[in-house]
Amino acid sequence: MRKSLMLLMLSLVLTLVVSACSGGSGTAGNSGNSGSTGDTTGSTAGNGGDGSKGAQEITVWAWDPNFNIAALNLAKERFEAKHTDIKVNIVEYAQDDIVQKLNTGLNSGTTKGLPNIVLIEDYRAQNFLQAYPDSFRDMSDLIKPEDFAEYKIGPTSYNGKQYGVPFDSGATALYVRTDYLEQAGYTVDDVTNIDWNKYIEIGRKVKEVTGKDMLTQDPNDIGLIRVMAQSAGTWYLKEDGKTPNLADNPVIKEALETYKAMFDANIVKLNSDWSQFLAAFNNGDVASVPTGNWITPSVKAEATQSGKWAVVPTPKLAYSASSVNASNLGGSSWYVMNMDGQDAAANFLAETFGSDSELYSLLLEKIGAIGSLKAASSGAAYDKADEFFGGQKIYADFAKWTEEVPKVNYGLHTYAIDDILAIEIQNYLNGKDVDSVIRDAQAQAESQLQ
Amino acid sequence: MRASGPALRLRWKASLVGWSFVVVAVLMITLFYFYPMIQALLLSLQTGTGSNLTFNGLGNYRRLFTDSMFLTAVKNTFIYLIVQVPIMVLLALVLSVVLNDRTLKWKGFFRTAIFLPCITSLVAYSVIFKYLFAGDGLVNLLLLHLHLISEPIPWITDPFWAKVTIIIAITWRWTGYNMIFYLSGIQNIEPSIYEAARIDGATAVKQFFRITIPLLKPIILFTSITSTIGTLQLFDEVMNITQGGPGNASSTISQYIYNLSFKYAANFGYAATVSYSIVVMIVILSIVQFKVAGDRDA
Amino acid sequence: MLRAKRISMYVFLAVAAFVSIFPFLWIIVSSTNPSVDVTRGKLLPGSYFMVNLRSLLNSIDMLNALKNSLTVSVSTTLLALLIASLAGYGFEIYRSKAKDVVFNVLLLSMMLPFAALMVPLYRMFGRITNLVPLIGIDTLAAVVLPTMTTAFLIFFFRQSTKMFPKELLEAGRIDGLSELGMFFRVYVPTMKTTYAAAAIITFMSSWNNYMWPLIVLQTPQKQTVPLLISTLGSSYSPDYGLIMLAIVISTLPTAIVFFVMQKHFVAGMIGSVK
Repeated sequence: MRKSLMLLMLSLVLTLVVSACSGGSGTAGNSGNSGSTGDTTGSTAGNGGDGSKGAQEITVWAWDPNFNIAALNLAKERFEAKHTDIKVNIVEYAQDDIVQKLNTGLNSGTTKGLPNIVLIEDYRAQNFLQAYPDSFRDMSDLIKPEDFAEYKIGPTSYNGKQYGVPFDSGATALYVRTDYLEQAGYTVDDVTNIDWNKYIEIGRKVKEVTGKDMLTQDPNDIGLIRVMAQSAGTWYLKEDGKTPNLADNPVIKEALETYKAMFDANIVKLNSDWSQFLAAFNNGDVASVPTGNWITPSVKAEATQSGKWAVVPTPKLAYSASSVNASNLGGSSWYVMNMDGQDAAANFLAETFGSDSELYSLLLEKIGAIGSLKAASSGAAYDKADEFFGGQKIYADFAKWTEEVPKVNYGLHTYAIDDILAIEIQNYLNGKDVDSVIRDAQAQAESQLQ
Repeated sequence: MRASGPALRLRWKASLVGWSFVVVAVLMITLFYFYPMIQALLLSLQTGTGSNLTFNGLGNYRRLFTDSMFLTAVKNTFIYLIVQVPIMVLLALVLSVVLNDRTLKWKGFFRTAIFLPCITSLVAYSVIFKYLFAGDGLVNLLLLHLHLISEPIPWITDPFWAKVTIIIAITWRWTGYNMIFYLSGIQNIEPSIYEAARIDGATAVKQFFRITIPLLKPIILFTSITSTIGTLQLFDEVMNITQGGPGNASSTISQYIYNLSFKYAANFGYAATVSYSIVVMIVILSIVQFKVAGDRDA
Repeated sequence: MLRAKRISMYVFLAVAAFVSIFPFLWIIVSSTNPSVDVTRGKLLPGSYFMVNLRSLLNSIDMLNALKNSLTVSVSTTLLALLIASLAGYGFEIYRSKAKDVVFNVLLLSMMLPFAALMVPLYRMFGRITNLVPLIGIDTLAAVVLPTMTTAFLIFFFRQSTKMFPKELLEAGRIDGLSELGMFFRVYVPTMKTTYAAAAIITFMSSWNNYMWPLIVLQTPQKQTVPLLISTLGSSYSPDYGLIMLAIVISTLPTAIVFFVMQKHFVAGMIGSVK
């Protein structure tokens, strides 16, 4: 009896709580709805964009608050000061989320809910440009491809039309711990402009003397293979961007062999996550990090290592004659959606990321972002010495390497082949011979990409 | 003869009442599930990237049988299913019986603690799990310290151990979830049945197998089927902990669907085909489970 | 003997509880540390809690997202419970061959992965938007509508109804209750634990729902909590301390709902109602 009474009381309290909640949610829902009507008008202005009355709104999607979003905010500030009739509305999503939303939206044939401008990673750009023709605005009338680092043009153009406004440089470098090198008897000069074989040799010595691994790798992320391939001006796919280019491609073979040699030399610390990747060098567990220049803020995050780092050119492949000491990893560009409001959006890009070298100086100063606009690759900001890197003028170096990156066509299937290769590389590391690894990967890619 | 008129009307009325209870649900599900499902079925007969789709007949379905990435994903998914679902169902059952004990102290705490894993956001879950199971992570440190192993286990970077890690992760995350259904089901068992058994001298183990399991059968069937569906559609854990790796040693069908749609060249047609292959597998497994459970309406 | 059994029971529960809760404790500890310490896997609490809290409140509108999530989850849960329990009751109590067929067909709707439904569903909402903008793309209603009726929940209610003592309905009928009256006066109070379990599960999945809100919501002011958290992690140099704090906050509502609801799981419910 007592129990049922208790239960009754409890359920009474619960009903009260629930109804209070739902009451609260009711009002919240109402305010949400009233907000939504407000937003609907806002977004019609954004999409409709007749722009005759009131502020026209353009919506931009991008990822990474510390980098792309911060860059957008700077651009927005400068643009809105000149164009008071246009409001730039920046929306932040994770990159995977943008890819998902964009694909779903474009696929369902409704432009409602799509942004005016979107940031797309260069590796994926051809996917979107070719899978959804007519969905993006041709920017050829507003920007000149030759104003940008040459290697950015392949991924951002299609059928001779320039769709993307190239943004950040993904130029790679080798970040090295000078103190570990010194202990092993090497100077910064010893690791400058070397090839990967020399790198492995040094790595062996470093490991022997300091006990530290030379680099850290996530077996699921074979970005290093991509770096090696691009340094030699070749890619997973042939020039047409569709035919797999693995078998009979000596560069890919050498890249795989080099990759395996690193593991065989026992100088690779395995990681399985981005946070562990960061931790590996923040903790001082590795002597070098070969990756894109966008890692700079993460390297500098560990202030106690100030003065112990240097940045040198990316190693090249030893036997592939075309390989140079410069490559690229990641990087992305801006695209305007072909829908209402496109002219204002195109204008925004043309006036900011498309031509404003002052903006790029600001970007470098404030967020350490290196663009690919050639005219913006010099100036006071680039000549600043960075104490964290022992007084090295790292940005001037990055700007120089950006222009040396060989041009390749990433094509339609970079990530599909990346996955196929990652599987085969596992087999390779476990003893399968390199020729059948490449042959099998090629066969699989061909059957997959029909 | 005289009675049949009103009796018929009565039966009609009863039937109408019954249908009116289910009509809203049926309409909603038809609108928001079956209509898109039919669209997806049509999509599964087409191929191409993005919006450049062409009709491909059963070509996509034929492609399944030669697609080694798909076949590996199916194999992995079934390994997870066969190993993990029975472990989890049994563990959840035992936990719910123990946590239903009237004399147990701190019931609310224990129940909440065991339920917590399934509400924790995946972002955190993946960061933490990868730490725990890293080469030099806590789990290895602990096992080394206890001298249970002599060398660190490559939990995430080895094809075999990656699957083990995924199984541990799913069990960790979903046992408390399934426990809820059992806990709610157990309330509906008359306590007098247990009392009678106790008087007859039945041990706790005997009570568990002779009373709890048979009486909970409808709920056990429910959780087995939903767990089967959950495992065949497994995505979150794999995506966040191993990314299907190393290589594709721990990949699942759902992850492959995601990759086909978003990571590769946006082939929504073939992705829909792979999705329908899951439907076929689940239907077969569910029929088997209904039959095994001897449910009246198999 | 009995004592040993009790102790072993507590040890078993303590181990299970510890294993379950440990990662969560780690998250709480991490929310008091700077990002660099989080990536190192530091297990001791630090002094960065206020710093993380401040940058969290500065960088994102957590309160607004909490409000959105609460609106969606509470309305989904209430509607889902009503619709699914009516249906589960109807399928089991008013059983017929035809209804069994319909029920089995409904189960099919659980079996297609959501990824395959997404594009058609989005296209449908695109059309709805033109007719009734209030429930179209970029409204919270569009998040609730397709998720509030699931075959999963109907299935659960139906299976639970199989254990419901049908004699109670006979008694109600003799007392002159209408069919709907019996549902609300007899069935609902008796099945309170089933409702509690269903409420927990529905609230949780609605709270954590990710794919559909991501696709259908557009303006930042409408984002739900999981969308915000996903955004936080999307950086070359993520602030893990801040992320952990956001996760702690986002987990609390479901934990509270669970803690309150689980009190309904008291042995011998039906006996005491009778």
